[in-house]
Amino acid sequence: MTGIGASPGIGVGPVMVVVAEELSVREFPILPARVDAEVAFFENALACSRRDLKQIRNGIAAELGESEAAIYDAHLLMLDDPELRRAVHSGIRDQFRNAGVVFRDHMSGVAAKLARVEDEYLRERRADVLDVERRVLRYLVGGGQRGMSGLTEPSIVVAHEIGPSDVAMFERDRVLGVVLETGGRTSHAAIVARGRGIPAVVGVKGATQAARTGDLAVVDGSRGEVDFRPDEATRAKVEVRRGRLAEADRVLRELRTLPAETLDGHRVELGINIELPGEAAIALEVGADSIGLFRTEFFYLGRAELPSEEEQYVAYRAVAEQLAPRPVIFRTMDLGGDKVASYLGTTHETNPFLGYRGIRFALQHPEVFRAQLRAIYRASAHGRVRIMFPMISDLDELRRASALCEDVVAELRRAGVSHDPKVEIGIMVETPSAVWVSDFLARQSAFFSIGTNDLIQYTLAMDRDNERLAHLYQPLHPAVLRSIRHAADAAHARGRWVGVCGEMASDPRTAVLLLGLGADELSVTAYELPRVKAAIRGVTHAQARTLAEQALLLPSAETVEELIHRTLDPVLPANVLHNQNPS
Amino acid sequence: MTEADVVVLNESGLHVRTCGVFVQVASRFKAEVFVRHGDVEVNGKSILGLIGLAAESGAVLRLRADGADETDAVTALQELVESRFGGMN
Repeated sequence: MTGIGASPGIGVGPVMVVVAEELSVREFPILPARVDAEVAFFENALACSRRDLKQIRNGIAAELGESEAAIYDAHLLMLDDPELRRAVHSGIRDQFRNAGVVFRDHMSGVAAKLARVEDEYLRERRADVLDVERRVLRYLVGGGQRGMSGLTEPSIVVAHEIGPSDVAMFERDRVLGVVLETGGRTSHAAIVARGRGIPAVVGVKGATQAARTGDLAVVDGSRGEVDFRPDEATRAKVEVRRGRLAEADRVLRELRTLPAETLDGHRVELGINIELPGEAAIALEVGADSIGLFRTEFFYLGRAELPSEEEQYVAYRAVAEQLAPRPVIFRTMDLGGDKVASYLGTTHETNPFLGYRGIRFALQHPEVFRAQLRAIYRASAHGRVRIMFPMISDLDELRRASALCEDVVAELRRAGVSHDPKVEIGIMVETPSAVWVSDFLARQSAFFSIGTNDLIQYTLAMDRDNERLAHLYQPLHPAVLRSIRHAADAAHARGRWVGVCGEMASDPRTAVLLLGLGADELSVTAYELPRVKAAIRGVTHAQARTLAEQALLLPSAETVEELIHRTLDPVLPANVLHNQNPS
Repeated sequence: MTEADVVVLNESGLHVRTCGVFVQVASRFKAEVFVRHGDVEVNGKSILGLIGLAAESGAVLRLRADGADETDAVTALQELVESRFGGMN
């Protein structure tokens, strides 16, 4: 059966079909003398559910970050819903009905309004409501909290859908794979499965009918395939494929402790990009030298008010501490563009990528910006911290942002708050204007980090979200390569180092080209780091430089691409060229 | 009483997390808050009420607040919805 591959890897094991447990609610009258006790019984069920949910919420927040925890905040709000409590209290006191029945009726009433099954968005909302209903009913009629505890042995979980609270119970050792009839790649179940490295396929229609508890099943989350009761031949093939995946994985994993160094001994700093503080641990797992881009926007988005300095400090400190002595580059808030935070007064713009965003936005909100800088500087006492400003397009912006940093340092010194006064301050080079004034910018910044995603769209004047222009998104366009070379030369002329943190760096072949163009540091997607490292270790610095010189002479992206394949394919190891899907 | 109409811009409509943020903002005000979608009006501080509106992307909501800080409440909620709840899907 096929579905959507939601979390990569292959899981083989016995099936456990999980059906929503029957929580049958009996109706009975409440004696007038017992109404207070029944109300208290209901409130206690809410309190217990609240306690369980908070625990799950904090666990998920620590593991996957605050934004993934937001769904549990919404569940907590349901427990505190004023209308729900009014309805249940009144049902008990005025109609003498028992708490379980009144509560169930209220929740079912909400769920019924979302019953148009053809609409996936509504179905998801209904699933959340039912999830909370079951959670509370367990205390009203059942024995309290439940989870994946029904699994007596490591299993492949097959279910129609799994609510956020059940997902949180997934344990890597007990759940070998997940198959759901509902959901998409971005569903909560998919995100948690990916976060915990559990293979998952979702959107498999009819899976619970086809599967039988106890049967052997194969879940291939990389391809989005599920096989219940596979025959001998299939099982043998899967074992071979699993073996190859494991072998490729092992070879790349062995690189973990080896440096990103070319055959002729040229060392590159190889870091990863992260979005959530919880991802810092991944840097250590994959053997990164640093975090080359920590996007800090998550703190400002999807919430109703500004994050406090303290809240940011705690999270930043945790990341700096985990990585120490390796460096972490904190990119200061890059709001605006496609990321807006309502409470900061951002409004709809017709051309947001050319609008009020990045450093332009930060300099207009000095108090918000200052709070973030203070948090970063305070965290700098606990690790090796670097700061980088987004969307710089001239020297004046850099000067004003740096002046704020100096203010913050002076403030912290006066107050006796520990910090590192020598934090390296650099900039993102992602606008054509920054490229062309890079000689001025290099005087005032310790490093450049070239943000290729935006640099490509600004240089080629193409909106990268416009599907009709997808063919124009050409990382290897001569204008892009010349821009990178120009900025790198300007930095080196001042003795500054240059990094690249866009998607371009995550492609092993292009990474070699970037090295030749002058990159001293690359910051990549964690998942691609081993392959990029293997590519760097497969060439000499001289080869990379020659490749770059030749590429700069070619007139089009196609010819550059051809050159790269012709030059590198014979040289690089097979597990670098053919990625995660050897068949 | 203060009223305003607002359009849900989020691609997936008024989903559970957006309802949660709405309730958090609405609850900061003393004024009573109501949200109407079609013929149904619910308490704007009730997340289950809001979820039950089943409002999809493009739905027009009428916000109504009654109380001392009603103008601020309506303005804040209007901005929240118009900003796609701070950039959610």
